[in-house]
Parts: sequence; structure tokens; C-alpha cells
Amino acid sequence: MIQPLTEEKRYTLTPGSGGLIETQTLEVSIGPQHPSTHGVFRMDCVLDGETVVALKPVMGYLHRNHEQLAERMAWLGSMPYTDRLDYFNSMTNNWAYALAVEKLAGIKVPDHAEYVRVIMAELTRLLNHTCVIGFMLQDLGAWGTPLLYAFREREKILDLFEAVSGSRMMCNYMRFGGVRVDMTDQDLAVAKDITSRYPRFLDEFEKLLTNNEVLLGRTQRIGILPKELAINGSISGPMARASGVEYDVRKADRYGVYGRFDFRVPVGDVGDVYDRYYVRVLEMRESIKILQQALRDIPQGPHIAPEVKLRNFKIPPGDGYGRIEGPKGELGFYLVSDEGGKQPYRYHVRPPSFINLTTLEDMCLGQKVADVVIILGSIDIVLGEVDR
Amino acid sequence: MGFIGKGLIEGMVVTARNFVGSYFDSERLVTVQYPEERVQVPENSRTFPFLVYDDDKDRAGTMRCVACKICEVECPPQCIYIVMDRDEKGKPQQRPKVFDIDISVCMQCQICVEVCPFEAIKMDNDYEKSQYGRFDELVEHLPDLLKSNKYYNKIKPTEASAVDAKLKAEKEKKAKKAAPTAAAKPSAAAAPKPVAPAAPKPAPAPVAKIAIPDDAPFSPEQRQWLSGFLSTISVGAAPVAGTTTPSASGAAPAEAAPATEGAPATEAPAGGWPWHDPGLGMQQRLDLAKDKPLADKLMAAMAQTDCHACGYDCRGYADAIDSGAETDVSLCLPGEAETTNMLKKLLQEAGKL
Repeated sequence: MIQPLTEEKRYTLTPGSGGLIETQTLEVSIGPQHPSTHGVFRMDCVLDGETVVALKPVMGYLHRNHEQLAERMAWLGSMPYTDRLDYFNSMTNNWAYALAVEKLAGIKVPDHAEYVRVIMAELTRLLNHTCVIGFMLQDLGAWGTPLLYAFREREKILDLFEAVSGSRMMCNYMRFGGVRVDMTDQDLAVAKDITSRYPRFLDEFEKLLTNNEVLLGRTQRIGILPKELAINGSISGPMARASGVEYDVRKADRYGVYGRFDFRVPVGDVGDVYDRYYVRVLEMRESIKILQQALRDIPQGPHIAPEVKLRNFKIPPGDGYGRIEGPKGELGFYLVSDEGGKQPYRYHVRPPSFINLTTLEDMCLGQKVADVVIILGSIDIVLGEVDR
Repeated sequence: MGFIGKGLIEGMVVTARNFVGSYFDSERLVTVQYPEERVQVPENSRTFPFLVYDDDKDRAGTMRCVACKICEVECPPQCIYIVMDRDEKGKPQQRPKVFDIDISVCMQCQICVEVCPFEAIKMDNDYEKSQYGRFDELVEHLPDLLKSNKYYNKIKPTEASAVDAKLKAEKEKKAKKAAPTAAAKPSAAAAPKPVAPAAPKPAPAPVAKIAIPDDAPFSPEQRQWLSGFLSTISVGAAPVAGTTTPSASGAAPAEAAPATEGAPATEAPAGGWPWHDPGLGMQQRLDLAKDKPLADKLMAAMAQTDCHACGYDCRGYADAIDSGAETDVSLCLPGEAETTNMLKKLLQEAGKL
């Protein structure tokens, strides 16, 4: 593997890979306005020929002061802002925040609401994984086809979200102690319908991609993340699992009612881009299993704990950390309440895509520059969450 | 795996099937030709808020909003701006004079709808809001925001009928409650909101508790807001009575006429009620009523919106509690738990509870 160059050496002549021509390293800035960076994100690559010898991720272009805003606002006021962290998965963001507040305030969520949350979170996982595969293929150069198939299916889930919560993407659906409005029987029927049709779409999607020689050639043995580095780098979610780390907060914490469902945690063995793709496909199949069980077992009952006040909601002093297995990894909210308790004294987000992004350089070193965008795509980042 | 290229060919079969299928199978052809075709939005769908009124003939009078400013306070991006309407004498009317929503700031989160105790603000589902400008064009004023209950029933039938039933039940309950004590408080509940003149002149300076020079370049609205703001600041620091009361008593509620029909608008004494300003905080109001009788202190604990959510104006409710005619101290909606707790505390201190 080629070692990254130090600052002084960057522009000195180095022997080219063939040994016949002497080449200079070249510094290329990919982004911030580049479609393959999935938002305003910049990568400072140092290239030797086509090979990456150093890469520096530059973040912060989409910083919106999320945490400080939340510290100036009532507890409920931050809920719509969490939608805007990872705007693909507003439902799970809502849940993570609500879970942290519930832990801190000691609120018990009714069973019915827990099931509704599980249904929403697993649907979110479906749409996120479908789309991220579509985007990854887009980065590979499969212009349009897989992405638009993914978006077609995603739209069906978003229609359900709109019917239930009122908004397609910025759902603002969860409340402390439950969910804002209940799912009607009609909504549940739509969810069932989506769940029953999704495996067929996944089969088709896999037929298009899984054994495709171009995909295999471009993704296998590319961007390998070793298991040790995944653990040391605190990587979570599908990315850690693709590297062989068997860790899923749904299994480790069994938050909500996840203890009641029967599902497996798919784990990869190489940790390359292909594993990251395939772990996501398998995870979607497990999500469908969870959805089927949740839709079968959902009990009757209130959709929100009746004792929770909407206004003048106060939390006694203390701190709490609530975490869930978001589609991108472990999403956690660390909250501190102090005297008065009307607003958080400290509000901290543990964003999975930000922490997963920190290993980008390790995965890219020695790879070709064309593979950098695939490796980045396989991490699955949303800049709203990376920069906050 | 078979031969090299099998995966590619299989993939192409999938694409071909999708391509051909898109002509026959509605599941594969999901595109809607937007301006010509429109998708029916779901009932829950939300875009921007609007204000509900009940009667087409009297929009201002039947507006449900009482300018209690709960939504203004709770709005996470702070996109709502409300100024309460006052008559010529500076007496607060229970409706907004200014109600602006900056829809370029609004993030459609629906929190204003959830916190509104009067069912006055609701979410629209009109998504065609494009304008030819970025600034004034995107601020919706009161006339743009007002929409009829009929419209609300049309866009959200289930939700609106539930709201109508709830409001009706509340009204009946109030009427029942008011009936036995009707002699003491003639039809406080039956009379809805006082019907005000269509276009009340903006009160020039009567509410100015702190003298702002007459030649200062402010519009009446700004003047009103400023004086409220300044009094909030000064109340905390300076000896209170000196700064606030004299100028207030000069013009304002001293000669307030018993304006409302039915609901007894209690007349203010010569000194005025310096705490009767929704812009002040609870502590500031209580400080102003420090050495006053219990009824004044009780009144100062209320939200000062005169919203009639309890069935009285703020003065009337305080008197009723003081005299024992009203035993429920949890009726002040805009003041909520803060007021309820303070009322309990004051009554306990006075040995009345």
C-alpha cells in the first residue's frame, strides 16, 4: 500500500507506478459542489496517477447550529428540527429524540404506540436502504435505472407517511410518550400491502444487481474496512456489520418492543463495498419480517401516554442517553436537564453518518480515484446529519 | 453462476420488463403529469397554517383566534407575529390586529395547531404558493390567513367535524354552567365575542406606559410594541409604580366604557391595572400587584388576554374567585398551569383554600 505523503513531500517527484515515467502527485478537491458527494461535502484527494495517496474529508458546509438551537427551545420545539438531521429518515430521528426524552423524564409508552413506532421505523429502513443502493449505483455510473426503481418504491412508503403524519419527509410524527396521531385501519392496510409487495421488488432489484458482472467487478475487494478498524473507529450500522461486527442496537438494547420480534442480524465477512451493498439487501428482508410480525401483533390501545403535557413540559434535573438503530447506524441523543427543566441544558446528537465518515481515508488509500465516490456512497451519509 | 455475462443479461431482462410493463401496469408507471393531472392529497397532509372563522358575513367577529400568543411563543422557528387588537381606549379586544406568518420561515411542523386551545389555527393543504418575490410576498397577513370553517370542513372533513363537535359540546357546557349564576353574571358565556367595529383605528399612544417622544419616527404599531417592550424591561429594574402607572392612567383604561354586550367588562379604577398587559411576565405582573388586595393579585396571576376562555374577562374571573362564586382555578387557558398553580398559591397564602 502506498503511504500518504507528508505535507512537504507532496509536490516532489515520485516514481510512477510503472516505473518508466516520473509523475507528480496531484491534489484534487472533489466537492463541495459535486453530485457524487451527496451534498456539500469536500474531499481533498492527493493522487499519484490514479491512485489515492491521501484524502482529507472536509465537513461543515451545512452546519446549521442544530444543537445550540435546541438548547434555546422547549423540549417539543426540537422535534421538527430532528426531521432535518437525516432528512431521509425523519421517523427514526424522531424516535431517537423521543426515546432520550422519555428515558430522562421516565415516561412509559403505551404498547400500541410502540408497535406503530416499530412499523414506521422499519418502513424508514426499507426506504433508506433502497435509496442508498440506488444512489450507490448512480455513483457507479448506472445512470438512473436502479435509482429510479428505488425511488418508485420509496414513493409508496412516502405516500403512507404523508397519509399518517401529514408530510412526506418532514414527518414530525413522534411525541414524548407515543405518536402524534394514530394509524387508522386503512393506513395499517396500506402498510400491510407495501410489506407484502416489497419482497417481490427486492427479488427484482437483486436480479438486476446482485450477480451483475459490472457491479461485482467494481465493488468487490474495493474499500475494505477491516473489522478491528470498524470497532476502534466506533463504526455502527450496516457498515460495521458488513465488516463482520455483529452489533445491532435493536438486539443489544432491545429498546421499545424489539425484544418481541424474531429477526436475524446479517453480517458480512470481507467488509468491502459489495458487502455493504449486500448486507443492506439482507437487512431489508429482515425488516420485512419485523414488519409482518408487528402488523400481525399490533395491539389496541392509546397512541400516546395521556399524562404527557404538550405545553409547559418540564423534566427534572438529570441526564440521559437514548439510542436507536437508525438505518445508517447508532443514532443517539444525549440530553441534560437542569433546574427549571423547560429546555435542555445540553443537547448532543451522536450522528451515525458523521462517525462512519471518519474512516473514509483508511478505506480509500491505495484505491483508484474513481472508486472513491463508490466508497463514499457505500458509507451512506446525509450531510444534514454529518454537519448538523 | 453459469457463464460470464449471465448477470448482465438477467439485468437487461428486468429493465426490459419494466420498460414494457410501464405501458400496461399501473404499478410500474407511477408518473403523474403534474399541471394537467393532480394527485388527491391525503386528508392529513399539511402545508402552511391558516386561521379559522365561522361566519362569512362577519370575518373579524367570528374569528376563533383570541390573540393569546401561545402559538407565537411555541413556534420553533418563530415565524408568527401577533399584535392584539385594542379599541380607541386601549382596551384589549380578543382578537389579533396583526397576525403575520412568514411562510418562508415556517417549516410546516404543525406545533402551532397542536398547542392552540381555541381550535383557531389549522393546517392548510394548498401546496401552490409560489410567488414572484422573496420578501414581502412570502409574509401572509391576517386577511390572507383567514379562511372559513366551511373551507376547513372541505379540506379535512374528519378532523373538522370532530373539532366542530368538540366546540359545540364546550359551548353547551359553558351555557349550562352559566345558567344558575346568570343573575350575577348576565350571559357571560352566551354572548360570544364582542362584535367590534369593522376597522378599528389603531390606538395612537394610549397604551404607551413609557413615554416615547411624539416626534419619534415610529408607526402606531411600532410605538405600541415598543412601549410594551420597554415596560417589560423597566419593570424588572426600576421602582415600578413610578414609571408605569401615571402615564397609563392618563389615557387608558380609566374611562373604559362597559363596551361588551352581555359580558360584564369590569371598569378599571382610576389608577388602572398596570399588570393588565399580556406582554409582561408572571413575576413582573405579581410585583406590580404586590400591595394590592387579593383580587388584584389573583388578576395579576392571569394571562391578561381577556380571552374569555374561562367565561369571564381577567378581572371578572379574579373577582369571582375572590368572592367564592367560582371555585375552579384551572380555567385560564392562556395562562395554563403557571396561572393555576399561582392562583392556588395565592389562595393558600390568603387562607382561602
